[in-house]
Amino acid sequence: MALSLQRRFVTPGPGETVEEIADRALPDQDQGAAVDAIRSWNLHIFAMRRPPGLLLGSDVVFIEPPIG
Amino acid sequence: MYDVIVRGGLVVDGSGAPGYLGDVAVQDGKIVAVGQITGDALRFVEAEGRIVAPGFIDPHTHFDVQLLWDGAAKPALEHGITCVVPGNCSLSLAPLRAADRQQVIGMFQQIEEMPPAAFTEAFEWTWEDFAGYRAAIEKSLSINVAPLVGHSVIRLWVMGPHAQERAADAGEISAMQDMLRECLDAGAVGLSTSFVDVDENGRPVPSRFAQFEELDALSAVLGEYGRMLQIVPEFYAIDITIARIDQLAELSLKHNIPTTFSPVFDSTATPDNVARTVARVEEQFSRGARVWPQMQTRPIDISFSLLRPSLFFARLPRWVRILRQPLEQRIAALRDPETVAKMVADTGPDGGERMMGRLVVRGGDGAPVELTGRTLSDIAKDRGEVTALALINLSLEHGLDVALLSANAGHEVTDRIGPMLAHPLVHIGASDGGAHLASFSTYGDTGYLFSEFVRKSGALSLEQAVAKLTAETADIWGLKDRGRLEAGKAADIVIFDAATIGRGEERPAFDMPGNGMRYVRAATGIDTVLVNGQVAYAGGQYSEARAGVVCV
Ligand SMILES: [Zn+2]
Repeated sequence: MALSLQRRFVTPGPGETVEEIADRALPDQDQGAAVDAIRSWNLHIFAMRRPPGLLLGSDVVFIEPPIG
Repeated sequence: MYDVIVRGGLVVDGSGAPGYLGDVAVQDGKIVAVGQITGDALRFVEAEGRIVAPGFIDPHTHFDVQLLWDGAAKPALEHGITCVVPGNCSLSLAPLRAADRQQVIGMFQQIEEMPPAAFTEAFEWTWEDFAGYRAAIEKSLSINVAPLVGHSVIRLWVMGPHAQERAADAGEISAMQDMLRECLDAGAVGLSTSFVDVDENGRPVPSRFAQFEELDALSAVLGEYGRMLQIVPEFYAIDITIARIDQLAELSLKHNIPTTFSPVFDSTATPDNVARTVARVEEQFSRGARVWPQMQTRPIDISFSLLRPSLFFARLPRWVRILRQPLEQRIAALRDPETVAKMVADTGPDGGERMMGRLVVRGGDGAPVELTGRTLSDIAKDRGEVTALALINLSLEHGLDVALLSANAGHEVTDRIGPMLAHPLVHIGASDGGAHLASFSTYGDTGYLFSEFVRKSGALSLEQAVAKLTAETADIWGLKDRGRLEAGKAADIVIFDAATIGRGEERPAFDMPGNGMRYVRAATGIDTVLVNGQVAYAGGQYSEARAGVVCV
């Protein structure tokens, strides 16, 4: 059985910022827009967490919107 | 001469095969024969009209602390459980330096809702390393224990305060690998980690600061031993859960290890989540990965009072802050109109009706008897107050000793859950035994599997249900001596009545250290429980036998 397509994600490197993740994961996009997109796809990090936006090495950071 | 013969029961041997009438002979803690047995024994256990099955294995518990003063993990053993797995969710009591104890107590208190007195009043803290913890519990076990070691405590051991600050460097990762090896050599059944939990200050637990490379390095050590990796995924978000399944699959394939994740539960608010989870698990199994979703049998019922913070208030940080204060300050805060107005506002524009209206007064505490069974919504109307205010004022009038029940808050639709539990890749567990003491009873899930899903709905046959709790669990966890009634296996045996096995009503008990309260359920239909060939429980009584071992 082949793996079905699932939402792509990356995990943050040591000390990596959301800007750096945006550059790495979405290199073709304007950085500001890419950062905004990543924030909106990852409310578990950028809205629900205290403090918001604290990136952890174990995080799943989605680099695309939900599929379907 | 055998030590014991269990005579004349319906032998349901754990394999899933149909039960048959037979006897089980036991010698030196092991099963030596199953079938028609003639010969004499020092003790006969009569099992006519009863089921004779392997002892149940509970793979997700937090009995780490309780085992230090209660080697039976009561009341787990009387429910037919003969082996428990503590140390889940990244937390264990070893390896742990004396200087870091307070920090880990804080995590247990926050995450598993255990009272601080449980850590200070009932045992002497004699160990730092895993072997020392093992020796401390082994002194008086009447149940078997297959303990996980927690990633958060290994990280704390190696990195000290940096464990909750940053990624580990190469030297630290290698030190963690060495420590994990030491724990596995000392009898750990695997490693647990968490992607969701926070400590009592709201700070993510140490395991969450680990890069995937760190988990990969630790999984490589698990691979040397073929041992289990257990995780708590972000169960509230299906896409993240699936990402975690994929990470586990990668680790499982690369290191040839079993992995498991929990909780997995059904909610009618997100009806497709379990199906999506299981579909991904099926895909990963078909590639050869072992990623076992662990599902509880019981519906989610949460009880609470304003005497202590509760899971129920997870979405109300102000309430949690106030309920964490010492009693006098808490009562003062609940009497302060300004504070109360803010608390009520936090519960929504309807004054908490949607969030709290369906709560039911449990009774048996400080509340007036005539309120027992009534909804908070009703009571609020009578009082002419909004719902959240009624909760606060009613509690204040009775010294805060008013317990409310939020029943069926998820995973409650039997016809949906049955087929999920019956799925061959769904691992039954996730009881959380020994944790969440004042929120719900974590005992009785095995009985509930039989009463609700075998007898009532028929989603599983008796043999299937037994297999799920015994041989399948032993196979998943690599517990080679357990889980089957077969010559050569450990004589962990439960004798029960198929017509009445179940769980009793949830009731408060005040049997924790410092007279701490917890919710428990008694077992019904369990006659006798043998652990390593000795009768540990029979006729409603625990015996003096201490035959339990660390059993990996
Ligand atoms: Zn747990």
